[in-house]
Amino acid sequence: MYEFTPVGWLKHCIFHPVEGFEDLRWKKQGSMKIALIIVFFLFVAMVADRQMTGFQFNNNYVKIFNVVPLIVQSVVYYFTWCVGNWSICTLLEGEGTFRKISIYSAYSLVPYIVCTIIKVIFSNFLVQEESIWITALTYLGFGWSIVLMIQAMRACHQYSFSKTLISMVLTLVAMLLILFLAILLLSLFQQVYVFIYQIYTEIAYRIRG
Amino acid sequence: MLRIKNSFKKILCAGLAAVAAMSMTLDAFAAEPYRSYIYDTWNDSIPSQNAYRIDKTVTGYEMGLSRLSDPADSLFLGEKASARLSNAKDMYFDPDEKEFWIADTDNNRILRLDDELNLIGAYNELSDGSHFAAPSGIYVKRSLYDDKPLYIYIADYENSRVIKASVESENELKLVQEYTRPDTDLYTVETFNPSKVVADFAENVYAVCTSVNQGAVQFNRSGKFQGYYGANRVEVTASVIAQKLWRKFASNEQISGMTRNVPVEYANFDIDEGGFIYTVTEAANTTTDAVKKLNPAGYNIWDNSTGNEYKFGDIASEYDPSQNQTYSTRLTDICVSDNGLINVLDFSTGRVFQYDRNAKLLCIFGTKNSTNDQRGSFSNPNAVEAYNNNIYVIDGSKNDITIYSETTFGALMHEAVELYDQGRYSEAKPIWENVIARDGGYPMAYVGLGKAALNEGEYSKALDYFETAYDQDDYDRAFKYAREEFLKKNFTAIVVVLLVLVVFLFVLSKLHKKGIYLIKGRFGKKKKREGR
Repeated sequence: MYEFTPVGWLKHCIFHPVEGFEDLRWKKQGSMKIALIIVFFLFVAMVADRQMTGFQFNNNYVKIFNVVPLIVQSVVYYFTWCVGNWSICTLLEGEGTFRKISIYSAYSLVPYIVCTIIKVIFSNFLVQEESIWITALTYLGFGWSIVLMIQAMRACHQYSFSKTLISMVLTLVAMLLILFLAILLLSLFQQVYVFIYQIYTEIAYRIRG
Repeated sequence: MLRIKNSFKKILCAGLAAVAAMSMTLDAFAAEPYRSYIYDTWNDSIPSQNAYRIDKTVTGYEMGLSRLSDPADSLFLGEKASARLSNAKDMYFDPDEKEFWIADTDNNRILRLDDELNLIGAYNELSDGSHFAAPSGIYVKRSLYDDKPLYIYIADYENSRVIKASVESENELKLVQEYTRPDTDLYTVETFNPSKVVADFAENVYAVCTSVNQGAVQFNRSGKFQGYYGANRVEVTASVIAQKLWRKFASNEQISGMTRNVPVEYANFDIDEGGFIYTVTEAANTTTDAVKKLNPAGYNIWDNSTGNEYKFGDIASEYDPSQNQTYSTRLTDICVSDNGLINVLDFSTGRVFQYDRNAKLLCIFGTKNSTNDQRGSFSNPNAVEAYNNNIYVIDGSKNDITIYSETTFGALMHEAVELYDQGRYSEAKPIWENVIARDGGYPMAYVGLGKAALNEGEYSKALDYFETAYDQDDYDRAFKYAREEFLKKNFTAIVVVLLVLVVFLFVLSKLHKKGIYLIKGRFGKKKKREGR
C-alpha cells in the first residue's frame, strides 16, 4: 500500500477522487495543520479574486474594500460547514470525528483554491474574447472540489452515495440554522450591552448629581 | 491702550467691510436651485458641473399674449382671450422655420412664436369653423409634396380627432384632413383621445391615444388607419410572473376576474431627421422600454433584451427629506435636437436628462422642489424643446417657459461629444482636457481621452484613462493592443527565458533519474520502506 508524506497524501487525495479519501481513512492519515493552512489559503484566494483580478474581468464594486465579508465567506463558512456536518452526521450514524471532517473538507477545497489563483493570474494576461479560459477554470475548480467533497464525506462517514448527498443537503440547512442563531445571539448581546451601558450612565449621572 | 485697540478695531472693521463689499460685487450671482450630478459606471450619482444655467423665464404676457384681447391688433381672438398660458401640454420647435408652436390646452388655442418667443400667430378655430377642445399635442412640418405647404398636426383631445391643417396666415388654418376613431375591428378601444402627434416625411401620422396600449395609432397620408406602431412590452415584475403562474391553475371565471397585464402606453414621442421615432413611457421607474428609438418598421434599436444596458432617467428612486416624499422617474417628454442630443424630461423630479446619439448620459439639470416659485424649478413640466444650444421647458402649472443656456463647461462638453461621436478622437483631445480642468470627475472625458490615446498608439496612457473612467470594454480593447505590442517588443527575451526553463527542467529530470536531487526532501512519495 501507499506510504506518503503529509503533502503527498494531500496530492494523492486530490488526484484520486474515487479511492483517495478511503486510503486516507484506512491509513489514518491527514494533518490538521495542513487543513488550517488550506483554509487560510482559501481566504487568500478569495481576497486575490476580489482585488487582483485583471481590470477587464473585475466586476466587483472596487470603490470600497471590506475584508470582513470575505473572512465570513471563507473561514466562517468552512467552520460552520464542519460543525453542521458533524452535528448532522452524528445523528445519522456517521463514523467521522470532528477532526476528520475538518481535515477531509479542507483537503477537498484545494482544487477550487488552485483554480481560483490560476484564474486570477490568467485574468491579467487575457482579454475578454478569451474569457472562455477563465470560465472553464471556474467550472473546473468548482466541479472538482464538489466531487472531492462528496467523496470525502462518503469516506469520512462510510455512507452510501445517496446518504452522503442527503447528509450534505441537511448540513447546508444546519449551516443556515447555525448562522441564523449566531446572528440572533449577536444582536441580543448587543442589546444587553446597550442596556447595561445605559444603566451605568444612569447611575454615573445620579452619583455625580 | 484702549483707544489704540478701538482705532485698530475700526480700521479692521472698515477693511473687512470693504473686502466684503468688493467680494459681494464680484460674487453677486444666483446659483441654480439644484446641484448638478451625473452617474458613474456603478450607477452611483457623483457631483458634476452645471452644463446649463437658467437664462430666463418667459410668461405669456412677455410673449405678447395681451395682443390677443386687443381688438385693434391683427391677432385679436376675443375680448376675453387670456394673456397667460393655461396648462400648456405641448410645445414644438420647427427647426426649418425657426418657430415655436404651443398647444395652449386649457385656453383651447394654438400659439405660434418666433425664436425669441414673441407671438407671431394665434389660432383657435379651423377654416370650417370648428374650434379646438383641449389640444394637447402639436407637430409642424413643411410638406414635401405639391407646393410645399406648412402643415400643422394637432391632437385635438376632447374633439376626438387629429387635425392636419395648412398654415395660411397668422390667424388662419385651413383644414386638410381629419383623422377620427378608426372604424375597424382592429381598433378595440371605445374612445379616441389623441394626446400627442407626429408625422414622418411620407406624412404618415402617428398619434398617441389615451388608453390605447398597442402603440401609436398610425394613419397614412390619405387618412386610412394603418395599424399600431411600436408597442411597449409588459415589464416583467414579480407580480406579473406570479399572475402568470396563477393563470395556469385558475378557472376561466377566476381568470376573467383577474386584472390583465398590459403594457403601458407611451407618453410622448419625437421624430428625428433620419425618420427614427423616439418614445418615452411615463410609468414610474420602468426599466422596460422607458425610452425607445424605433426604426420605421417599429423595431426598437435601444433594446436591453439584446444585451445592451441602456438606462434612462434616475437610476434609483430618490427620497427628498424636505418634502418627505420619494421621487421616482416618470419620463414625460423627449426632444431630439438637430445636433443629435436627446433631452428627456422627467415629470416627477423636473429634471432634464441629456443623452448623446448613443444614449450616453451627458448631463442632468432642472429640479422640482417646494420652492418652485424660484426660477429653474418646475411644478408641472410638460414639454422640452431644444434650439440654438438652449433648452426650453414649458410648465403647465407655472404657465411659463424656462430657458436654459449652455455654460462654458456645457459648450466645451457638447463640442467634444460632437467630435467624439464622429470618431474624431484626436481633435476632441484638447477639448476634453479643458473639460477635465473644469470637472475632474466627468467620466466621458476620460473615455474620450483614452480613445484618443488608443488611436495615437499610446496604449499605456489609454489604459490609465480607461481605468479612471472604469470603462472595461474599452480597456479590454486597449489591453489587447498593449499586449500585442509587449509581445512584439520582448519576443526574444520571452523565448530565451522559456528555452532556459525547458533546458533546466530537462536537466533536472535527467539528474533525478540518476538519483541526484538539487532540493532535498522532495515532496511526494517517500522512499519505499524495507520489506514492502
